Amino acid sequence: MKVTYNWLKDFVDIAISPAALAEKLTMAGIEVKAVVENSGDSVFEIEVTSNRPDWLNIAGLAREVSAITGKKLKKQPAVPLPLSKTSRQEQYSILIEDKKDCPVYTARIIEGVRVAPSPAWLKERLEMVGCRSVNNIVDITNYVLFEIGEPLHAFDAERLQGSCVAVRRARPAEKLITIDGQERNLSPDILVIADGKKPVALAGIMGGKDTEVAAATATVLLEAAIFNPLTVRRGRQRLGIQSEASYRFERSIDWASVDAASLRACAMIIEIAGGKLVQSKRSGTLKRAPQAISLAVDKASRVLGTDITPRQARSMLASLGFGVKALGSKGLKVTAPSYRADVKEDVDLIEEIARINGYTKIPTTLPGFIVQEAAVAASDPVRPIKKILASLGLDEVITHSIVNRGILDGLWHGEGEVLELENPLNKEQDILRPTLVPSLLGCVAYNLRQKQERIAIFEIAKTYARSGARLSEEYMLAIALCGEKKIWHSGGCIQDKPGLLHLKGVIESLFARLGITGYKLTWNEQGSIALFQADSALLGTLRILEPALLERFEIKNRGVFVAELAVAELLRHRRTSRRFIPLPRYPAMNRDVSVTVKDSVPAGTLRDAIMRHGGSLLEEAEIIDFYTGKQIENGFKNITFSCRYRSAERTLTEEEVNPVHRAVTEALVREFQARIR
Amino acid sequence: MPGYDSKSIREEIEQAAQGINSAQELEEFKIKYLGRKGVLAQLTASIPQLAPAERAAFGKEINALKEKIALLVDEKQGAFADSARVSSKTPVDVTMPGIAQPVGRIHVLTQLIEEICDIFVCMGFLVMEGPEVESEYNNFTGLNIPLEHPSREAFDTFYLKRSPQDKERFLLRSQTSPVQVRAMKAYKPPLAVVAPGRVYRPDAVDASHSFMFHQIEGFMVDRGITFADLKGTLELFAKTVFGKDISMRFRPHFFPFTEPSAEVDISCIICKGKGCSVCGRKGWLEILGSGMIHPQVFRNVGYDPSRYTGFAFGMGVERIAMLRYGINDIRLFFENDARFLKEF
Repeated sequence: MKVTYNWLKDFVDIAISPAALAEKLTMAGIEVKAVVENSGDSVFEIEVTSNRPDWLNIAGLAREVSAITGKKLKKQPAVPLPLSKTSRQEQYSILIEDKKDCPVYTARIIEGVRVAPSPAWLKERLEMVGCRSVNNIVDITNYVLFEIGEPLHAFDAERLQGSCVAVRRARPAEKLITIDGQERNLSPDILVIADGKKPVALAGIMGGKDTEVAAATATVLLEAAIFNPLTVRRGRQRLGIQSEASYRFERSIDWASVDAASLRACAMIIEIAGGKLVQSKRSGTLKRAPQAISLAVDKASRVLGTDITPRQARSMLASLGFGVKALGSKGLKVTAPSYRADVKEDVDLIEEIARINGYTKIPTTLPGFIVQEAAVAASDPVRPIKKILASLGLDEVITHSIVNRGILDGLWHGEGEVLELENPLNKEQDILRPTLVPSLLGCVAYNLRQKQERIAIFEIAKTYARSGARLSEEYMLAIALCGEKKIWHSGGCIQDKPGLLHLKGVIESLFARLGITGYKLTWNEQGSIALFQADSALLGTLRILEPALLERFEIKNRGVFVAELAVAELLRHRRTSRRFIPLPRYPAMNRDVSVTVKDSVPAGTLRDAIMRHGGSLLEEAEIIDFYTGKQIENGFKNITFSCRYRSAERTLTEEEVNPVHRAVTEALVREFQARIR
Repeated sequence: MPGYDSKSIREEIEQAAQGINSAQELEEFKIKYLGRKGVLAQLTASIPQLAPAERAAFGKEINALKEKIALLVDEKQGAFADSARVSSKTPVDVTMPGIAQPVGRIHVLTQLIEEICDIFVCMGFLVMEGPEVESEYNNFTGLNIPLEHPSREAFDTFYLKRSPQDKERFLLRSQTSPVQVRAMKAYKPPLAVVAPGRVYRPDAVDASHSFMFHQIEGFMVDRGITFADLKGTLELFAKTVFGKDISMRFRPHFFPFTEPSAEVDISCIICKGKGCSVCGRKGWLEILGSGMIHPQVFRNVGYDPSRYTGFAFGMGVERIAMLRYGINDIRLFFENDARFLKEF
């Protein structure tokens, strides 16, 4: 909202510069976003919080300026407005259909006005606060809105049918062309002002074109009312309009401002446009009994952490227009003025005291906080997973949780339903993702477009699904590998293309660090997805993505390997306690065995057999070489294992190891028709 | 061994060693004599053919030869290293790239979240998380935000499509504050919590808006917690993150779930408070919303507001990252350009 320095000065003496005032206002909770010089005045762009509708006008801001600068408010001279005689026979009546929608409505009739352009000073002030000048009558209603905060509306009384002004809900299929020239389709959730025949204004939102004050207008009906904030809010949301009037009605209006504004506008109209006040009508009451709040001043000191005396509290609250009486020696009985409906309990008063006293005067201390044992939780278990993956050369990404349903095709076969948004921003982002994989593919595609050669990424984020009435969100870990990796060694550089085993390697290393053991990796029935399983629980899946699927993400001629693992399962299977395993005291003896076997024999099966036949002396059998190619016949492969024999009790001798290793070798020949090289 | 003459082999070895003039020749020499199928291996393999009485002496000779060769190799190796050092002062082209494993990066937002949480953990806070799909109660009503109120507009919200089975309407949390309600319902005071996480608001995406972003909520409840404690705690936090030389100010503001409420500014880290384009010429940067927890929130979770006081605060992680690192577009965080990720 915009206000001007000089306009404020109409209401309160200001002895400080605009810049100094801006600083004071900001530090009192009225944030001044900018101060702009304009024709000898300064325009303040301020931000008013939704709890303070009383700051949405000059008079209210002047009250605040008075409280924070200690200067007195200027008395506004009361202009006597006697009713004049009229030749008009009919008396207007006001009919309010529901007092909940409109607790009070006033109408004043001014005859004999001359509609003309506004005087220069009036135009200028309105333009400074961002309001376009229309004509003298309309400008005066706007001027009073900015000055006092009560939105007014002036009708051309001659254009109203009949002499009854009704405040009612619109009937189905009723229409109204508003002053902006738009035809509005109305419905019963919209409150209107109607004449004898039809709606003539959207109550509290915007007037109608047909009854607006124009050059030929001679008689004006000036409306000042209070409309229910919720009714106005729903109506303007429904119609998609926002106006200075609706903005204020939604935030609620000071009851006391209704008549003040109406009378101020009448006086200005008579002064500027001529005419005389001939009727003054009202339906509803303007009174509201103020609630008294008791405040223990020492509570203010306790909450704020600084000493406030009853005297200080009393004077600060009084400066803001609160009624204050002593209540015992340390208490105050406080009554909020009509424009402070936001003040409901003692903490609201404590905030006023803190604000006027200044937040800067509150010291800075550190709390003497005692930790509650029951509430202390172990540190974030996900953090180490991220660290391990980064140490393996993967970058963490963060992608959007809201995605397009279409990208799930072929990538999600999960159970349950997808969670859909009721009000998506656009059709491209309409669901909460049940899998992270498509988002990671998006990342891969993006980075390929940026000509990145090697992409190794992971994300740990939630996935969402519904099964029946149960909504679930679960942390998943997704990994994607793509592109070539440069590997340097002392002889130069080679390009390594990642494959599924690279992905497996990442996960093996992660599992090793987390202490997850006893898992198995197998292909699913369709042979498309490899599954990590441990004691029948599914830890996650690995997948080589099909070219057709990748093409949907605009990834061409590239292999992409993805994994998705359930973080909760990883945490459930991880080793939580560690015991030190003593280092070996005796040397090991290594024996290599190099075998040629059929391609169909899995390396893991060979290793299992070696371990089985190696017995208690065999500590480890590690694959140290692998070959398939021209050197050996088609359909065969060569694998070299290094077998490490060790005893915990003594140094092994050849006599002990050789027979065992021979048995291992013979078993491979016997069980797998292996040829020993 | 027939035809074996230890003396001639020794001579042959010495001659061969003298002829070695390069590292490569040395390598060939080693293979020839010490390799798997080298001369010494062949000699060793022939031991079983000897008469048992000769075996021990022959074995000793072979060992002596091995030692001799090892000595020669050592000598030569030293000589090559020395001559390399003498002939050129750069035995390794140190302008070649070093050989290393690529290092992955933790996302800058995660790094910052961890850093911020750790600061509060040092002060006795514990880290908690809450669900992103929330009830209207936890996101609004429990936090003293009336269902129909203009203040709700500041927290514009994504709603989930309602299924016939749902007893209530669910939404995507528009702030991390619902964790306050959850934590306070689960634990009695004293309680101090920081809650990081994703939040969602239906804002059209541009350089400074994203429909998904991260917040960190924090609060502390106990007897005798004051606004002064709030100031002290947040000052310690801000100075740890932004540096000891910043100044701070607390401005009155409005949040439905705190009273009194304060917006927290730090002096602009770019212009040091003089005014620049980053701070909009004001010299101040807004980094936090905070305040004393509203008694209505305490009543909603079953805390007695006459016994306990507490403070709460919330901050946008992207905003802090953007200010701290000079990142000018919020979309960069979620595009995950590898080059962007590698910068942090």
